[in-house]
Amino acid sequence: MDEPPVLELRGITKQFPGVLANDHIDFDLRRGEVHALLGENGAGKSTLMSILYGLYTADSGQILLNGKPVSITSPKHAIELGIGMVHQHFMLIPVMTVTENIVLANEPVHLGVLLDESAAEKRVADVAKTFSFAVDPHARIQDITVGQQQRVEILKALYRNADIVILDEPTAVLTPQEAAELFEILRTLTREGISIIFITHKLNEVLEIADRITVLRRGKKVETIPREGATEAALARAMVGREVLLRVDKKAGQPGELLLKVEDLSVQDDRGLEAVRGVTFDVRAGEIVGIAGVDGNGQSELIDALTGLRNVAGGRISVGGQDLTHASARQALDAGMGHIPEDRQRRGLVLDFNLAENLALHDYDKEPFSRFGWLNPRRWLQWAGGLLKEFDVRGGGPTTRGASLSGGNQQKVVIAREVSRDPSVLVAAQPTRGLDVGAIEFVHRRLVEQRDAGKAVLLVSLELEEILSLSDRILVLYEGRIVAELPPDASEEEVGIAMTGARREVAV
Amino acid sequence: MSDQGPPTGSAPTPQAPLGSDPEAYAPSVAGQLAFYQRAGGIITPLLTAVVAFLAGGLVVLATGHNPLRTYKAIFEGAGLNWFFHFGSYHIDLPFTNHHIWFWWDTNTNHTAAYNLTQTLLTTTPLILTGLAVAFAFRCGLFNIGGQGQYLVGAIVGVYVGSRFTDMAHLPHVIFGLTAAALAGALWGSIAGFLKATVGAHEVITTIMLNWIAYWGGSYLFGRGGPLQNHVNKAVPISDDVAPGAKLAAIWGNPHLQALHSGIFVALGALVVFYIILNRTTLGYEVRAVGFNPEAARYGGISVARNFIIAMAISGLFAGLAGGLDILGWQFRLGVLDVQVSNIGFIGIAVALLGRNTAVGVGFAALLFGALLTGTSTRSLDPNIFPPQLAGNLALMIQALVLLFVGADLLILYIWQARKKVRMPGLSRAADEAA
Amino acid sequence: MSAMEYAARVREKWSGNVIIARAGLALGLFAFVVALPPFDAPVWVPVFVGFLAFAAGIWVLSRGMRRPGWTAIGFGIVGIGLGVLATRASSSNIDQVVVWSALLSATLVWATPLTYAAIGGLFCERSGIVNIGLEGMMLAGAFFAALGADKFGNWEMGLVCAAAAGAGFAAVHAVMCINLRADQVVSGFAINFLALGLTGYFFIDIYGENGTPGDLPRIPDVNINFLGSVFGHLNLMIWVSFALLIVAHITLFHTPVGLRIRSVGEHPRAADTVGISVYGTRYAAVILSGILAALGGAYLSIGYLGSFSENMTAGRGYIALAAVIFGNWRPFGAFAAALLFGGSTALSFRLQQPWPAPSVLFQALPYVLTLIAVAGVIGRSVPPAAAGRPYVKQ
Repeated sequence: MDEPPVLELRGITKQFPGVLANDHIDFDLRRGEVHALLGENGAGKSTLMSILYGLYTADSGQILLNGKPVSITSPKHAIELGIGMVHQHFMLIPVMTVTENIVLANEPVHLGVLLDESAAEKRVADVAKTFSFAVDPHARIQDITVGQQQRVEILKALYRNADIVILDEPTAVLTPQEAAELFEILRTLTREGISIIFITHKLNEVLEIADRITVLRRGKKVETIPREGATEAALARAMVGREVLLRVDKKAGQPGELLLKVEDLSVQDDRGLEAVRGVTFDVRAGEIVGIAGVDGNGQSELIDALTGLRNVAGGRISVGGQDLTHASARQALDAGMGHIPEDRQRRGLVLDFNLAENLALHDYDKEPFSRFGWLNPRRWLQWAGGLLKEFDVRGGGPTTRGASLSGGNQQKVVIAREVSRDPSVLVAAQPTRGLDVGAIEFVHRRLVEQRDAGKAVLLVSLELEEILSLSDRILVLYEGRIVAELPPDASEEEVGIAMTGARREVAV
Repeated sequence: MSDQGPPTGSAPTPQAPLGSDPEAYAPSVAGQLAFYQRAGGIITPLLTAVVAFLAGGLVVLATGHNPLRTYKAIFEGAGLNWFFHFGSYHIDLPFTNHHIWFWWDTNTNHTAAYNLTQTLLTTTPLILTGLAVAFAFRCGLFNIGGQGQYLVGAIVGVYVGSRFTDMAHLPHVIFGLTAAALAGALWGSIAGFLKATVGAHEVITTIMLNWIAYWGGSYLFGRGGPLQNHVNKAVPISDDVAPGAKLAAIWGNPHLQALHSGIFVALGALVVFYIILNRTTLGYEVRAVGFNPEAARYGGISVARNFIIAMAISGLFAGLAGGLDILGWQFRLGVLDVQVSNIGFIGIAVALLGRNTAVGVGFAALLFGALLTGTSTRSLDPNIFPPQLAGNLALMIQALVLLFVGADLLILYIWQARKKVRMPGLSRAADEAA
Repeated sequence: MSAMEYAARVREKWSGNVIIARAGLALGLFAFVVALPPFDAPVWVPVFVGFLAFAAGIWVLSRGMRRPGWTAIGFGIVGIGLGVLATRASSSNIDQVVVWSALLSATLVWATPLTYAAIGGLFCERSGIVNIGLEGMMLAGAFFAALGADKFGNWEMGLVCAAAAGAGFAAVHAVMCINLRADQVVSGFAINFLALGLTGYFFIDIYGENGTPGDLPRIPDVNINFLGSVFGHLNLMIWVSFALLIVAHITLFHTPVGLRIRSVGEHPRAADTVGISVYGTRYAAVILSGILAALGGAYLSIGYLGSFSENMTAGRGYIALAAVIFGNWRPFGAFAAALLFGGSTALSFRLQQPWPAPSVLFQALPYVLTLIAVAGVIGRSVPPAAAGRPYVKQ
């Protein structure tokens, strides 16, 4: 191609407090191509695109549009320059119609003040026809399917004459058929000369739709390769990398009796769609079962159901023989379920409580913390002090506010609380998110300790390394189903591929 | 981050504001108020009050009066100057003919002492209505219904007080106060129940309940109303409280509106408030829900149940205030009293200034009690400042306190942000780096 | 099953608004029936029941169900009419109460301040800012209209002063809520107290014991005799309120301005990403609400009563807020609710003589109805999605 690239990013760098999100990234986009931006969570893809869309400013680097350097100051400016973005969380107003959402801020007017509704509809219909979409201009956003909503988002960009359309994880919310329809639309767009940047972490889709693929990992660009010749395995390796694995020293597990039994569990998400579809598995005493998968495939709903925080639509959960399918959170906790929640600040701790109060969050109404509704602060503080020391929590004592601690120490408090309750089943959801290496090591050690003490540990994590290093058995969750069961010595690529939906027959 | 639930399917949940779950309309103030309680100790409320008074002084100045003399007159009108006059006096010991030496002049025929009794008389219900709002705030709920709950308590109080005349004194009083408190609790729990079950926002429901109580009271004691007095049908007022149900006067002449034993009840309520919140499992749950309802849920706490209980307790305090006022010095309730009363509303300012803590509410109640008494027609020297103006000045100062309380939150917010304390919304940038 | 799950089930099974519509029809019928033997209720009972029928009709109408809504209202009218006729046959007090033309005029009079404040409030809330301070802005308008009319000698300046005062208070609210991100309810409350204190203070300071002068310039009535006794002598402000209603509706639903305001109130970030100024839009909406509420108050002082007294709005700002909610944040809905609530007040004054107790009942009716509305167990009340949440620009 002799034409200069429609878009070029040179040396883009962006630093956030504590995180180097983009590290001198180079990227270019040719006219009429679909360029996939691939990488794990946290690789820096969204940041890069947010910079391109004017939501952030890069610390250093250059952006060139059609060869000319530009400085993109706001989304409005980006739109004027012909860059359109289809966000992962749709920027659509649910109670308004398709037409209203598309023409917002660019409304055709009648007599200077009135909204010219028929002109608006006509324009929307025209744009839709040019790109062979089907949309109902009168429908309200809240009444149409997710796939259709996404089409409206795309139309928003096209209506404003975008040359470049950025799609941020578009298939994350689509069914396979809707995804196929999306790809058709993308092909039509490119035929009309629109250039597309497609952010994703799903390997199979990349190979289907992309012309070129750029892989990002931990803020750096790994490589840019054309689709011909690319394989899922190679891409997975590039995405995940050969990082030093935090392998914990552990002896082989000795699984004992069945402690957690999940049968044909179905759970709905907040929208009423099935997020967990007929999942069956068990966890025995003395083993760690790791559930791997890309975020959004039903992990949160599964954990919520197990810990009594979400209703179960079908199936059974039992802990130690006791049926907990319809138990409340309190009942589940009392029955021996321990839960290290995935967001320690929002769900695990009351930041404004002191550490002693946080440590008692589940059992405050029982001895020795209280009697007949009356708290016993002295005993509380004593016990808390001991626990904090045992778990090496630094940054304060029992009367320190939770918010004053670092993330790692906060997580230690959560773990101290859960472990000290001596649950028979411990559910750990993303226990090392946002922690530094030392804290991660601590958490891992504790989980193994629990396993060796005869507990059943269910580890749900988005970090592949963690799953591989800790689990005695690995289950892969994809679109609400367990699609693979793998031994702990499986390779990253195997697991990675299963996580991204490509089915492989793997003997257990 | 998007405020709604546009279909996500993937990605960690966006940072929703820290509020309770049924968040249909105007989120509760839980997240911001969590700040409150740590807010700069005593300095910030003090500063807020000072600034409000300064601003009030400016208004006084602008209309041609002398702010210093005005404030001094208010100060004396509130009887606070009583503390500064030392001498050799005595107090009569009850039940005996002896007296003991005391360095302050307790004779309420003298103005300063009398004014002070009136201040304390006003402080009593203010403590309770302040506690009512404060308790609800601790659970993350905004109880604006203190006024309605107070009225309901007063209505029930006057009913019980004027009937059951053959009960002995103490049981009658206890019955009256308990009934008043429970009535307030019931009134408050309506809003709590609606919030817990259907998520109706407590601001709207409590405002409506206030007015329903207002008109209910007007109806009950109006001409021809069911609770109108039996003596004079032309006057829209209730029956008098029976002498046996009146609270004992502890300072002053009972015929001239003496300070009654209710103040001990109010002070006791401060202690009870503190104990409930900090020493019981209920208080633990209430605070957890107020700080972080999601984490509370994860801990097994029932958020809905705590909403109802917190509003009930809140209403209990306010209802008790109504009962105390009726059995302590009002002794009757008229339509005019119902319509003019605003003790419940001032309780909001008391709670906010007092940072929703027992000690804070106590002092703030005293401040506002002094302000109200000092600006009343009875106490203020009209030569220095017309009392009708003073009453409105008091209102303005209250409003300014509310405004500055709202603004100083932000000052703290910024201050904390610079200290790199992680608060919602501030570190969103870091999250979105993923 | 928890209470929440139960409520959800009820909601599912009983498609709420349909129930309300049917209830409205039933109530209308009942209004007539109850005046007949063996009930023989006094005249205020069919009127009350008919009112409930109106309320049901307006509620349902505001939520988009045309035919059932109008039918309920129709049944209400018929029920009241027939009920009154039936009662007339057996009682002599009726004529005092049910002088239809006077009642209708009184309804319009009481409804007008509500209409102004409600429309202002609705724009404000549609942009995402909760405005509890309508009461204070209204009161400020009432006072400064009187003051301005007095000092400048004409009612036009009175209106200008009122608008300025309302805008001023609204600006305080706006800064508090938008820039300082204070709690919107606290701020609204503070505005109410502030206005109460400020207007009372200056009223006494300037007018002292005697009150506002008796010859205060008044907003004129518009005399169109051929329109009959009710519509022939309405105040100018009332006519303007009709125009305002129509303009508000068109603006909100048929202009780009209205679309943008609504988008800011529903999903501010989405609006921000297409380049709409969230802060600017909200400022404009809040200040508009202050101006309109103040004009409503001005009508009270220099339009209808001809004087100002302390706290003359006496809670009307809260009723206006209730009207906004009841009318589902739509101008015509809020107007209908304002008529309903205004009529309620008018009726209560008329009923005071023969029946003092039920008259108070009518005063409380707006609040009871709104309480039921907000409880939303039957038929939901959906405010703008982002109302009450401060917006943080990224």
